[in-house]
Amino acid sequence: MKDYFQKISDKLFNSLENHEVLVLNFDAEKTDFVRFNHSKIRQAGNVNQATLTLNLIFKKKTLTSVIRLSTDFSKDSVLLLRTLYYLRREIPELPKDPYLMYERNINSFEKNIIGSKLDNYSITGNILDNCHALDMVGILSSGTIMKGFANSLGQFNWHESESFNFDWSMYTESGKAIKQNYSDQEWNQETFSSLVSESKEKLRVIDNKEIILKPGKYRVYLSPSALNEIVDMLSWGGFSYKANKIGSSPLHLMEKGEKSFNKIVSFSENLSNGISPKFHSDGFIKPEKTELIVNGKYVNSLVSPRSALEYSVNHNAAEYYEAPVSIHLNEGVINSNKILETLKDGIYISNLWYLNFSDRNNGRITGLTRFGCFMVENGEYKGPINTMRFDETVYNVFGDKLVGLTDKSQLLMDSSTYEERSTYSSTIPGAIVEDFKMTL
Amino acid sequence: MKDNFINLVKPLLPKTDYCSFRFVSKYTNIISATRGVVEPVIMSEDDGLMVTVFHNGGFGYGATSNLTQQGILEAVESAKEWADFSKNKLTYRPDLSKLKNQTGSYYTEEEDGWSKTSMKDKADYLLSVNKALKSQPTISNWGASMRFNKIETLFIDTNDSYVRQKISYLLPQIIASAEHKKEIQTRTFGGHAHARQIGYDFIDQINMVQQAKTLAEEAVELSKSPNCSDQITNAVIAPDQMILQIHESIGHPLELDRILGDERNYAGSSFVTPEMFGKYQYGSKLLNVTFNPTLESELASYSYDDDGTNAERKYLIKDGLLVRPIGGLLSSQRLDLDHVACSRASNWNRPPIDRMGNINLEPGEDSFEDIISSVEDGIYLQTNNSWSIDDKRNKFQFGCEKGTLIKNGKFAGVVKNPSYRGITESFWKNLSKVGNSESNNILGTSNCGKGEPNQTIFVGHSTPVCLFENVDVFGGI
Repeated sequence: MKDYFQKISDKLFNSLENHEVLVLNFDAEKTDFVRFNHSKIRQAGNVNQATLTLNLIFKKKTLTSVIRLSTDFSKDSVLLLRTLYYLRREIPELPKDPYLMYERNINSFEKNIIGSKLDNYSITGNILDNCHALDMVGILSSGTIMKGFANSLGQFNWHESESFNFDWSMYTESGKAIKQNYSDQEWNQETFSSLVSESKEKLRVIDNKEIILKPGKYRVYLSPSALNEIVDMLSWGGFSYKANKIGSSPLHLMEKGEKSFNKIVSFSENLSNGISPKFHSDGFIKPEKTELIVNGKYVNSLVSPRSALEYSVNHNAAEYYEAPVSIHLNEGVINSNKILETLKDGIYISNLWYLNFSDRNNGRITGLTRFGCFMVENGEYKGPINTMRFDETVYNVFGDKLVGLTDKSQLLMDSSTYEERSTYSSTIPGAIVEDFKMTL
Repeated sequence: MKDNFINLVKPLLPKTDYCSFRFVSKYTNIISATRGVVEPVIMSEDDGLMVTVFHNGGFGYGATSNLTQQGILEAVESAKEWADFSKNKLTYRPDLSKLKNQTGSYYTEEEDGWSKTSMKDKADYLLSVNKALKSQPTISNWGASMRFNKIETLFIDTNDSYVRQKISYLLPQIIASAEHKKEIQTRTFGGHAHARQIGYDFIDQINMVQQAKTLAEEAVELSKSPNCSDQITNAVIAPDQMILQIHESIGHPLELDRILGDERNYAGSSFVTPEMFGKYQYGSKLLNVTFNPTLESELASYSYDDDGTNAERKYLIKDGLLVRPIGGLLSSQRLDLDHVACSRASNWNRPPIDRMGNINLEPGEDSFEDIISSVEDGIYLQTNNSWSIDDKRNKFQFGCEKGTLIKNGKFAGVVKNPSYRGITESFWKNLSKVGNSESNNILGTSNCGKGEPNQTIFVGHSTPVCLFENVDVFGGI
């Protein structure tokens, strides 16, 4: 596919007229999706898709067209040259774009894979064999993801990866559930079998009569998955330079220096795990690490090239949406093997669900508990809890009410597949928080 | 898609128990102007095919953007291979004899005004809307946009079906935020609600410039208003919030795939169980809800769903009684219940699942004025800005942009950050007045997410203003 992208790019670049610049972004995937319910196959199939985004730049004006490709060179050539002609015809109608910025330096690099290691029929068979006596529901997404960048100035970047993401839940007859995820580049039957055994044991433990919680404040342990849901809400503008300027950031008071987090809280955008491409859609190369919050203080935002021009600041190669793609929260000192003892009396929250703002100005968030949450009494498991709604500010969760973070973090691969498979990830520890407010 | 293309691909349908080809051609154009600057204009063309195969008790699909003969044959092969692999491993084996030949078409009634209006004219109009938005000095963020989508589908199958549909829709959006003492308040138009199958003249009808002036004034007023106080009260809910209330606490819980567990790992299940149909009182007797793909200009109007099932209006809830689920022809076989034509896919690269289409709350008899004047003490809630509900679609909390207090039947001041929470099973039983057809709005949202792999789809909701008693309302910090 890389060769095809290079060939079609050359075809387009050779068709440019004087003073035109063309910026291309290529996205493709070949994925098998297998959906399960009740440990059987609900829907299974293959998706083979490729897309080219053409951004024509001429006399400080810009116009973009996103074209689905067949990857048949002669067929696509006709379509893409027609598109280029259309962009050329329409672009004079538009006003100049005062915030237009694209990389003029050449920074070419590639990340390739050699050979396929995933047999998706064999993986599906292994899943069915391990789960046949259980009530399992979930999705296997497995295959190759390809992303490329090229511009008419001579830059070429390629990022290719082959991976699977199996995201699943297991249910008891009474409706109690445990959620798990297994994602990697090679499927290991032993690893998967041990994860299923772990799920079975957890499911056996929580399959008791529900304890009905009353609204009130609770000491809670938030697992890495649960805490990641709250971190995800911070990403709705919290780390965006523009959102902080226009006031739609849930952290705008923190960015102004009026609020802070606990000193043990340090966030960064960290691309060192190599899951997301390091090139920006306008050709800039992203820094390996950008410190966002250090020791509880807001130090940097993610700044896109457009924001840089609008607000006269330097950018750090953030995409236009200015949200993290690989956020990292530093570990703390709570022994990850002694969570129940450290929590002592409270609620162990495995997962949170459907979060949204209840007061964005003040960083207040609501959402619900889901999957395998239970009460802990005197450091021991007491019993599963009913679904509860919480309503709490991030300044409590990461601030005064934060007891501590665990000493081990977890790499959480985003299993999202809207339009295409996500290449986002996060690395998050667990947290113990006091006075976590449950409302309904 | 031209007829000669159909003639070329039809012979590629394989000889299996059943096979369908669903071609989708999607065009999108988004133009926006933010803080006085026209943003990069984006156009998108997306053509592809999904092949669906049922054979020997197995099911598989193959989806491709490669519409050459070789690409289509590769997709057919993928679908056949997965159908072969999944033989005797499926959650259920549908009765394929229920799938009948379908021949017909559907086209959005509009005069293609979008392509007749130049990009420059659209951009200039949005700049004039921006100017109207920045009419107040404390406006800190402002913008306006127009999104146009045209989706053409062609469905053929081994039953010799031939269905052609072309849906085009328009979504205008406006936003105005005002800052007062570091408090930012926002008013929007269109964001979650105002998508319609309608022509470009809709832009003139809604008068975005006038809307912009009003929104800017309201944002400034809100930024200086007190917080909504905590109270159990009467809530009059405007259509642009009712759309969300219907969507989350009627539409989703009635989706059959949730009830049968398909969505338990992602979007969640439902408090509704199969035994409740025909017996369960979902709301007060004033509650009448239909699955209605026939309402002109509503977002999810169509003649056939993506499995080729003929679409018609049916009651989901009648006089408060739960009648039928939102389950497609094949899915509903699992419970032997009546189906609706709701098997829908977001695009050619995702398989159809049980989906809302147009889920409408039928108008009642009270005028808006009569409803307000009947309230001794309460609040009028407008425009959704936050939504959250549990995985069984029961415990919800929704936030609105604007609250207006009602005292002795009259409006009595604006409050900011109004939210309310409740439980679906009790909330709809407190529905005490339903607005008449004059208070009814045809609305729609283009971004309903669900499914594994994930899908975002457009759904319609037509609803009047409604009054609910004993609602738990609260405000911000």
